[in-house]
Amino acid sequence: MFDHMARLLASLCTHLGREQAKQEFKWMKQALDKGLIYAPTDLSTMVQRRLRGEPLQYILGTTPFGPLDLLTRPPILIPRPETEDWALRLANGFFPSPTRPLSVLDLCTGSGCIPLLLCHLWPPGTTRAIGVDISPSAIQLAIDNAVRCNIATYDEVPRTLPQTNTFTPLLGDIRDSAFLGSLKPPFDIVTANPPYIPKREYVELPTSVKDFEDPVALIGDPPEAAQQDGLSFYHCIAQLLSIKGMLKESAFVALEVGQGQAESVESILREVAAFREIDIWRDPWEKKRVVVARC
Amino acid sequence: MSSAVDITRAKQIKELEPLQDAWVSWSHARDSLQETIPLLSDEDPAMRALASEEYVSLTETLSEHVHSVFPKLLVPSSSTRHLSAMLEFKSGVGGSEASLFLADLLRVYVRHANANRWKTQVIASNETDGGGVKDAILEIKGEGSYDALRWESGVHRVQRVPATEASGRTHTSTVAIVVLPLTEETDNFSSGDDIFSMDDVKIEVMRARGAGGQHVNKTESAVRLTHVPTGITVSMQDERSQHQNKRRAFQVLRARLMDIKLTKEMEDRRATRRNLVRGADRSEKIRTYNYAQDRVTDHRLGLSLMNLTSLLEGDGLQDFIDALKRSHDEDLMEEIVEGL
Repeated sequence: MFDHMARLLASLCTHLGREQAKQEFKWMKQALDKGLIYAPTDLSTMVQRRLRGEPLQYILGTTPFGPLDLLTRPPILIPRPETEDWALRLANGFFPSPTRPLSVLDLCTGSGCIPLLLCHLWPPGTTRAIGVDISPSAIQLAIDNAVRCNIATYDEVPRTLPQTNTFTPLLGDIRDSAFLGSLKPPFDIVTANPPYIPKREYVELPTSVKDFEDPVALIGDPPEAAQQDGLSFYHCIAQLLSIKGMLKESAFVALEVGQGQAESVESILREVAAFREIDIWRDPWEKKRVVVARC
Repeated sequence: MSSAVDITRAKQIKELEPLQDAWVSWSHARDSLQETIPLLSDEDPAMRALASEEYVSLTETLSEHVHSVFPKLLVPSSSTRHLSAMLEFKSGVGGSEASLFLADLLRVYVRHANANRWKTQVIASNETDGGGVKDAILEIKGEGSYDALRWESGVHRVQRVPATEASGRTHTSTVAIVVLPLTEETDNFSSGDDIFSMDDVKIEVMRARGAGGQHVNKTESAVRLTHVPTGITVSMQDERSQHQNKRRAFQVLRARLMDIKLTKEMEDRRATRRNLVRGADRSEKIRTYNYAQDRVTDHRLGLSLMNLTSLLEGDGLQDFIDALKRSHDEDLMEEIVEGL
């Protein structure tokens, strides 16, 4: 038994390096011991999957996101610590109250991590969030995550219910202008972690990303786009934001960007939509990670 | 309506209970004694015999009050009595054998905490391949756990034949324990209160992440805090969540700073009242676990417990903790008498 475990750990070490392997091995054991794994499996199978490059988060079926523990499901984009960091920072920067509630629009919502964190951290009855995604399986995951986090997923809460925050995941294409009608603007806050990886960088990505996560959530430009710089979605989002009546007065926008894209996204926002202030937030690894703007 | 004033008052009453109890039982014994004295010269021999038995027993009760019950009430109630504890374990000399002993000690404290209905959680542990633990942090939550365990700080030495030793030679290895005061956790873990200022804390994430963001899905949750004025650093990597690791790291940092604050307060007090309470030097060897002689010795008390198993597998630790508390209380009482 002990030998078997040692062999599993050793194989993981050759793949991930000693320190990382020890940690991940421990987390796998803990998840099994605590009965947190949904599908019937065993340590050996989990290690085998990891050796084939599958992300740990898919194997364990969950990922932490701030105080939340969210479900992860292939191939939906796994919430990243960079996103966690700026979403927490965003949450700490606002103080909504039931008399001054906030409406939030999250584009390319994926697992629903950003609006769910806001709904969780802000007081009950202060937050009405909508999350849009083009992938039906992402919308299903967002709904499942809302249930897991005890966040109501219907927009209109019956008056008989106590004050509550709501998160409504909507299936739709943000490039489709007909869809935009169903969004019920104006919004106080718009967030997005859109696909931003340029095609040429995508092919160089590690296996755990490239072979397991949805390329639709990662590649920033459609194949027919003239520019393959990963910025297509920012142009589209800026267009959307510039639609009259989309944003409230002094609305706040936060868009996650990839390495080296912050300045370009800043100028896209400046040109297409009229923002008073634009700022760039760094992630914990000192990368310029979020472009934030205020009307 | 229970206002803050009511709660304070209720607490005061609760804290005065031992005094009230002692006085009631003292008065009761004294009154009984007074009633007994005339009966000592009663005409009936049976009654005289009964009275004289009663006299002996009541005198014992009263002298017990004078020698033990009342002096104990003099011991000022501890300002840290509400605090929980955080125990940091580090293996010292002895290599893998020290790590094995650390794992043994960890179990001793977890069991002791459970027996006292304190909640335990190992919040960090660095396991070795051979089933040992190189270092660990154990959180013990429960009122009074810090006060009970604070004298466990110091070097614990083990003398035994390691399981891994083929030739049967006895090895000596050590584990250092530091017991820190754990204050109540607040929701906003990064607010320093009066213990530290957030501006003084540098937060770093470990390792490089390349492009980061969507490009990388590797879990990298390790966090390191540096408290610039003291140079204290805390690294935490046990949880998958960076948020959680940060919360933990702040908890450890706060406990270490609180420990420094308490130690300084104690030293200041000692400086004004001359050296009565012996300082706890953490590099000092406080206890020896000798397997061949089936003995555990506390070097500060000069007290040996001749049943090592009872400490490792039973409640033997309680004997040491009680004795250390007695010794501490006596020091405090001496300090008070000295100050009169």
